[in-house]
Amino acid sequence: MTWCPEAADPAASGPVRKTLEMQDIKRPQRRWFVRPSSAYDQRSAMLFLAPMMLVLSVVAVFPVLYSFWISLHDLKLTRPHRVPFVWFDNYVKLFTDPLFWESVGRTASFTVMSVLAIMVIATLMSLLLNENFRGRRVLSAILLIPWAIPYVANGLMWKWIYDSGYGALNGLLMQMGLIDKYVVMLGDTAKTMPLITNAFVWKEVPLATILLLVTLKSIRADLYSAAKVDGANVLQRFVHITLPQLVPGFALVMIYESMMAIRHFDLFFILTEGGPADASHVVAWQVYVETFRKLAFGTGSALAYIMAVATFVLAYFVIRSTSRKL
Amino acid sequence: MARIKFEAVGKKYPNGFAALENLNLDIADKEFLVLLGPSGCGKSTTLNMIAGLEDVTDGNLMFDDAVMNTVPSHKRDVAMVFQSYALYPHKSVYENIAFGLRMRKYPKDEIDRRVRDAARRLEIEPLLERRPDQLSGGQRQRVALGRAMVRQPQVFLMDEPLSNLDAALRISMRAEIKQLHQAMQTTFVYVTHDQAEALTLADRIVVMRGGVVQQIGVPDEIYERPRNMFVASFLGNPPINFIEGKLVDLGSGMAVERGGLRVALPPEAALKVQGQSGRDVVLGLRAEDVVEDPSPVADATLSGRVAAVLPVGSDQFLEMEVEGSKLFLRLGKECRYREGDNASLTINANRLHLFDKQSTQSLLWA
Amino acid sequence: MTSFLPGRRTLLFFGSLLFALYVLAPIAWLVSSSFQSEAEITSVPPHWVPEQPTLENFAAIFQFSEEVVTYENRKQGDTATGGFIPSTAVNLLPSMKNSFIVALAVVVLNLLVSVPAAYALAKIRFIGRTSSIYFMLSTRVIPDIALVVPFFLFVQKLGLMDNLWALIITYLAITVPFSIFILTGYFESLPDELDKAARVDGCSRLQTLVLVYLPLALPSLVAVVLFTFLTSWNEFLLALMFTQTPASQTMPIVVASFTSDFNISFSFINAAGVMAIVPPVIIAIMFERYIVSGLTAGAVKG
Repeated sequence: MTWCPEAADPAASGPVRKTLEMQDIKRPQRRWFVRPSSAYDQRSAMLFLAPMMLVLSVVAVFPVLYSFWISLHDLKLTRPHRVPFVWFDNYVKLFTDPLFWESVGRTASFTVMSVLAIMVIATLMSLLLNENFRGRRVLSAILLIPWAIPYVANGLMWKWIYDSGYGALNGLLMQMGLIDKYVVMLGDTAKTMPLITNAFVWKEVPLATILLLVTLKSIRADLYSAAKVDGANVLQRFVHITLPQLVPGFALVMIYESMMAIRHFDLFFILTEGGPADASHVVAWQVYVETFRKLAFGTGSALAYIMAVATFVLAYFVIRSTSRKL
Repeated sequence: MARIKFEAVGKKYPNGFAALENLNLDIADKEFLVLLGPSGCGKSTTLNMIAGLEDVTDGNLMFDDAVMNTVPSHKRDVAMVFQSYALYPHKSVYENIAFGLRMRKYPKDEIDRRVRDAARRLEIEPLLERRPDQLSGGQRQRVALGRAMVRQPQVFLMDEPLSNLDAALRISMRAEIKQLHQAMQTTFVYVTHDQAEALTLADRIVVMRGGVVQQIGVPDEIYERPRNMFVASFLGNPPINFIEGKLVDLGSGMAVERGGLRVALPPEAALKVQGQSGRDVVLGLRAEDVVEDPSPVADATLSGRVAAVLPVGSDQFLEMEVEGSKLFLRLGKECRYREGDNASLTINANRLHLFDKQSTQSLLWA
Repeated sequence: MTSFLPGRRTLLFFGSLLFALYVLAPIAWLVSSSFQSEAEITSVPPHWVPEQPTLENFAAIFQFSEEVVTYENRKQGDTATGGFIPSTAVNLLPSMKNSFIVALAVVVLNLLVSVPAAYALAKIRFIGRTSSIYFMLSTRVIPDIALVVPFFLFVQKLGLMDNLWALIITYLAITVPFSIFILTGYFESLPDELDKAARVDGCSRLQTLVLVYLPLALPSLVAVVLFTFLTSWNEFLLALMFTQTPASQTMPIVVASFTSDFNISFSFINAAGVMAIVPPVIIAIMFERYIVSGLTAGAVKG
């Protein structure tokens, strides 16, 4: 039996303000020191981690370093025996090439458009799936299909839908009376990128939805109850509880999808091979061209390296936000 | 058989934080030792060290003269009961209890015998095939006890095992644990922050704070002769009342003075502080050490305004304001004071505690 | 969450319908096209539902005899599209077998590598824990493109070209970080004290992992298996690079080769597409419930 009566916290009256609890959530505990429990623990941990370290070092660290090394050389597989060391020539050539910057621009606009579309659709879908209703499981299962299929199949499917001669999109538009006859789709430089973007978005939405759904589900239910008692209505609850806790997860998904968009290759290969007239010639495609068509490994490496750095900068933010959870 | 000795043991983390400092403790075989203190005082760390779950960074931990510092948990012969029971959710009650024995490769029939024996003693036999999530808190606690019991270990460790139970269950479980100790004749090391539990169960109590041992002794000694203000305040419910004042020499003896209040010290106590008039001291008065005496005694009376009266069935508690301090005092039901009254209560001077204000150490007992 | 609008049921219904349509319509068209003959498939406007469904496209895939492409065969195809069934059609099934072998190997190895690492990261406090996490996450930052050149040279030198092992090891490196991420999250949600209880009960760290934590981590294990399998099955760029001969090619490569040949019949391509999506879709639907629960930590209490 406790003796002293607990000092009562003066309850905040009025609309939902930041309660002590919400502040706790917004600034999660950060473990600022690591304490090894014992020498046996240290040994066990090292042992358990060893396979992962081995695999990652060999297959991830080594290529990165090697790739950088190659990018400093003028390595052309067409004449593999003469490999002069050219310092940063490859990079300079790239940065001074207007075509490079065009492709960067295309990649950037592709990324922005896709991520925007993905986030909007995924947010709506995750809000929908967060509700409980009959058939939700079915919808959830259906949702997984685009995620599950390979990109090549995705590309193939949309290529057929977009086909200029017999495609379903053309057919649909004509049946709806929007066009008189079939138009050129992927071959029309104005339409190329939007169509590819659509195909990409369609496939990426499920994963984004699930990640957002996971975030939504992690919001504590009793916060909503507390807010109701505090007098908040539906909109206020959404604004003061759902939104603030959704933001970190939202940012995480956004950054992840941006990374996926920047490095995406498969659709550009299947649908347009960088064409028509370079309309879909993004950086990833350029790497392929340099490496496999021109066999200029030096340039290809340099380009890949630039992409890696750009992605790394983006990923820095991902690591920052995820390490809070870890 | 199971003497545990801590020799100048310390636990320091890489960032410099010291969870334990210079712990010297000798736990006798078959003793029921309680580690008592607030959160963060190092009691759980000490327990984990015995279990082998935490490393000893300084000093030596010995079981019967064998240094155990680097021996991992699964090689020690200890059993542990956790605050949250830590039952394996995917195993039945039977399997939960049997697990430790299986890991140590006991023969099947021996395992079965021990498990059923323990289950009978704990009265959980009908639950053997159930899963933890189908049990109540009290039942889960018994399973956790059973799991530790069957191992018949050298040392029984308990980390606040009753904290998650409701009040009535807690009290009855205390008795059961005491009986278990008698029956098993093994060393028990028990961690808690509940002083009532410590007083009930312990053969000896180790009071800890901030990684440092405050006092080691039998319950009576800790309660009656606390060595500093922390120990005095930690044991006893409601907590001891502290009144700050100055020592004065009355000629006939020493007293503590604060404003209009003067309390004379009994002769043995006065002897210890002879000639230290003017020293800043703190008087310690337990809630039960006052009586309502119609005839006020000189230099042994508390007078003040009654701020609140709180009846609790068997007694009454008074919150009194005396010379600016708020005191909690316990009186019998017959006491008829009401809020706002001016009260006069007689102090039992023989039961006073005296501490140095600066060092908080007791001036009466070393 | 809370229910609010009076028309909640209708809103949910239309929302669900809309999304279901968004997801299923293209797939449905793919399936429908695969059952149409070349003649039908080239009708304008398209027949949404095949009026004369045929299995000839699938037959071509399942045929094991070499179909020699001759001038006659080409003429048999639709003159409008020049469509014909390629001889490489026969490669599709073997390539699926290759994909399957690779995916299976990657899953097994992935579990062997990721599970202990995740357990250590989640439950053991040791020096170097934070740096291991950063290291692991940063390896995933590298786009696959950047791996292309060094791997190519390396694999070529080692003579591992056209060897499925090159793919297996590479896919392993790609999938391990994400697996560890998921598993660590899930392990962390399992109570710490179980770990302590097991160790006091006499388990070494390894035994604690296998006997106590693994059975409890089933949802996340399934999610990891799923994710790893699908990533391996679907991966394209690296497979393109490492496999030059049909004998070692995986499914995406073979399918891609169909799309780049403009003379191949559309209906056949669609059939190939359907074949390509059937295994992953089946697996995904079967394990749907584990995906969300496996990714959400905190499912187990007490």
